[in-house]
Amino acid sequence: MLKVTAMAVAAGLFASSASNAQSQAPIKVGAVLSLSGPAAVFGLPERDAIEAVVEEINRTGGVNGRKIELVLHDDKTDPSEAVRGVTQVTRDGVVAIVGPSTGSGILAAGPVAERLRVPLLAPAGTASITDKKNSFYPWVFRVAPSDQTDIHKILADIAKDGKRRIGVFYQEDAYGKVGLDYGQQIAKELGLQIVASVSAAYTATDLTAQATQLREAKPDAVFMQISISALGASFHKAARQVGLDVPLYGNAGLAQKSFLDAMGDSGNGVRVLSIGNLPYEPIDPETKLVTLLKARGKTPQGWGELVGSNGLMAIMAAIKAVKGDLSGPAMRDALETICDFPTYSRGKGCFSKEVHDGWGEDVLVITEVDRGRLKTRP
Amino acid sequence: MGYLAELVVRGVLLGAVYALLALPMSLTFVTVGSIDFALGAYAVLAAAVGSTVGGLAGIAAGLGAALAAAVAMAAIFAGLKRAGVEEPITISLASFGLAVAIGSLILSIWGTRAFMLHSFDDVWVMLGIRISPQSLINFAIGMLLLALVYLLLYRTGLGRMMRAAAINPLGAELSGIPVTTLQTGTFISGGLLGGIAGLLILFSAGLDFTAGLSLTLSCFGAAILLGAHGPIRAFLGGILMGVVEALSSGLASGAVSAIVPLVVIMIVLALGAVGGVRFAGDRP
Repeated sequence: MLKVTAMAVAAGLFASSASNAQSQAPIKVGAVLSLSGPAAVFGLPERDAIEAVVEEINRTGGVNGRKIELVLHDDKTDPSEAVRGVTQVTRDGVVAIVGPSTGSGILAAGPVAERLRVPLLAPAGTASITDKKNSFYPWVFRVAPSDQTDIHKILADIAKDGKRRIGVFYQEDAYGKVGLDYGQQIAKELGLQIVASVSAAYTATDLTAQATQLREAKPDAVFMQISISALGASFHKAARQVGLDVPLYGNAGLAQKSFLDAMGDSGNGVRVLSIGNLPYEPIDPETKLVTLLKARGKTPQGWGELVGSNGLMAIMAAIKAVKGDLSGPAMRDALETICDFPTYSRGKGCFSKEVHDGWGEDVLVITEVDRGRLKTRP
Repeated sequence: MGYLAELVVRGVLLGAVYALLALPMSLTFVTVGSIDFALGAYAVLAAAVGSTVGGLAGIAAGLGAALAAAVAMAAIFAGLKRAGVEEPITISLASFGLAVAIGSLILSIWGTRAFMLHSFDDVWVMLGIRISPQSLINFAIGMLLLALVYLLLYRTGLGRMMRAAAINPLGAELSGIPVTTLQTGTFISGGLLGGIAGLLILFSAGLDFTAGLSLTLSCFGAAILLGAHGPIRAFLGGILMGVVEALSSGLASGAVSAIVPLVVIMIVLALGAVGGVRFAGDRP
């Protein structure tokens, strides 16, 4: 009898110690991001911000007393690699994933996330990723404004200035084409007219023909649905060359330092949509993120860091909201309950069962290029 | 001047840059029977180094970097040949691997930045068309290099040896012509021309870090359009490619304009009206 009691006590101690060890083990968080390929312009800053914030969280004691361990995977801007990445980091035991970086990557990885029961915090604007018709809708949460929100903000700014005739220059991919479609739809709602639309491949070596076609259509302003800074800068150069002398508006994809550097001083006056103005005129709480990035020797780029950190901070808020054991399904349920939680971006992040688009127009600003810097427009 | 004529002029100026890359593509094809898929990567590397160093030193450094990359390709080619591997597809795949490696190197050193430098702020108006002086410089350099390549091939002993090596490598080898040396030299000259093209694009429209492969493919299209069998055809192929692209970009709307140049290439190849099977140095 004594022996049985001793064994029971030992077993109890062992179980308690194992449970204690588990409760103290780091919480694994996944990040499947485009660290190479065309979308690396977003994926690399997303990674930089996530790493900086994880380091800060761990330095200040972790979440619920547990450290955060980041499990990173490069999706190479390739949807099939994004699927592989989501599968791999989930097998590594993550409770949620920031990424994949691109809309096509998220659409490809969504069914996998649904099957593996792990939520994706999606940093892309592509509207269809949070379409309720998707069977994986419960598992995808957008941590950036949607493309419609972005385009509405830009066209409303154009309309505010009394301009009516719009030209569109877009890149030849889903981002560009979807942007054009939304532009046509939103322009109609705002009483604007799309008078011409032209496009180019990412790597076009000359855009003067496209700029000439737009010039002939006599627009009052041109909206660029572009995410490749070289393409945007090249179009700006071509527009000046052919005499297309109207205000140019770039969508958020162009809120990149490399776009400003490529245009040089000749880019003064070009307007660019941005989430806040991280590199040039950060306000609280963006300034804290700038400090964290600079401490790690990183120069803030803008968009990528803010959406990346939004994803991570949403996961942190959900971890705090989970009652009981942490798991993918528990995190998913918790994500649908969090609202106005701490982030490093302006505006308010808010999810619910019906709303998986966490951020709205309040996070966006129109900026204007001024001597190689972005100035926030009033 | 009319809108259509303006587009043609812009296309010719654009085509000069394609032609610069189509030239070495054609030379490699006739002397080695293979394609150097790293040509676009040499161009991007030259632009990356050139924009970082800046000024005249940047131009020299950019060309040096492109040449160094081409020397690496020549060494790979020579190594493969020494190992008895002479299948054109193997050499092409090796160049593809080098292109990927150069792309990764560029991404790791320069990150995702765009490469662009500004040469002229002024715009010249010629016959009613607003043209950047840089575009005219591109065209002039393209023509000059075409003339030099033509003279080299058809007016020098070296050119004669190159043509002999292209038409009949075994016969040339037996006649004492150093075929392998000439072939490795062709790879290296490709690096020089690719580097020049990259620097011209750097000062014109600028380059993205991912541009290498698509530049190679555009120039491959330009090189085969009129038959990849001589410098003049390759150059004219580049010009034609530029004109078709400018016309489709300027006249058609978005999605259609992207398809038109490819359709034109397919039609030209399907008709078989140009090109044929002639080598650079054979009799008409």
